[in-house]
Amino acid sequence: MGWFGSNAPEPTAVSREGRQHCWDRRDAYFACLDNAHVLKPGDEGKACATEKAAYEKNCAKSWIEYFNKRRVLAEQQKGVLQQMKNQSSSS
Amino acid sequence: MQTAISRGFRHTYPPHTRYSRTYSSIPSSSDRGKTAVGVFSPIAAAIFIATGAGLFYYFNSEKESLRKKKEEELATKAYGRPQVGGPFSLLTHENKPFTEKDLLGKWSLIYFGFTNCPDICPEELDKMSGAVTALEKQYGTAIQPVFISVDPPRDTPARIAAYLSEFHPRLIGLTGSYQDTKSVCKTYRVYFSTPPTAKADDDYLVDHSIFFYFMDPNGQFVDAFGKDTSMEDVITRVRKEIGEWEEDGKWKA
Repeated sequence: MGWFGSNAPEPTAVSREGRQHCWDRRDAYFACLDNAHVLKPGDEGKACATEKAAYEKNCAKSWIEYFNKRRVLAEQQKGVLQQMKNQSSSS
Repeated sequence: MQTAISRGFRHTYPPHTRYSRTYSSIPSSSDRGKTAVGVFSPIAAAIFIATGAGLFYYFNSEKESLRKKKEEELATKAYGRPQVGGPFSLLTHENKPFTEKDLLGKWSLIYFGFTNCPDICPEELDKMSGAVTALEKQYGTAIQPVFISVDPPRDTPARIAAYLSEFHPRLIGLTGSYQDTKSVCKTYRVYFSTPPTAKADDDYLVDHSIFFYFMDPNGQFVDAFGKDTSMEDVITRVRKEIGEWEEDGKWKA
């Protein structure tokens, strides 16, 4: 399961190298989503299939869920902040 | 008349050279002023000033004694310090028993986290380890970095040992039963979400408080550092506190 030993009988934590691999694949996949103008991971259809496969191979499911959720949340936060900024400048 | 007033003045209040001098200048300020003020005679003025001076002196001395009392209290009791930390009993990453007493005599930086943490824990542990390494040049091994797991089902001593070896060689990793973990987290006011029914091979994340604590050699809380605190901030804060202890003669590097 790539850099993850979570299926091994004696589970070990991800190493520093393993974490970096996962983060790199995540960043590559998210960059692809940005290019395709897709916010929510999974909404891109077949656009980023290669990046997605590498991401899923190198990151644990729980991490993927967390990163995906955070991507959407961060974007919403940006939207709210922008809205607040617009409101304060117009008032 | 002057003597009579002076006597009256002395009678009510103990001799006070400063104020009798003030008074003695009043009659020489001309008779015209005396008639003009009417009821406000030199006697009234003297009594007024003397009373004012007396009250002023009284409140000042009261204030001073209150301040001294407060200072004494502060010296024995640290006010405004949150009740963080206390007794706990856990196992180290080398399978040795470890309690809060093992932290006494050293400054400690304590981080609560879990080894399956995607990104925040490693970042915070890197920050903490970097600060400890920087401070070692000045203070040697006086600052002890500690990692306490909030994920007891998965974080065995062996797993923690492998994980921590990539951060700092002196990091002590602690883990225990679910109850022990719950208890230490309560003592340190740390929130964590690991379900009691979680199994070692489950794939889940733990929601938890992500700051680390700075504790003094008596096991008392000094400060907490969050995500917004930089490594330099941590180093500065630790140096400041140790410096204050050195000044007070409570600590020798």
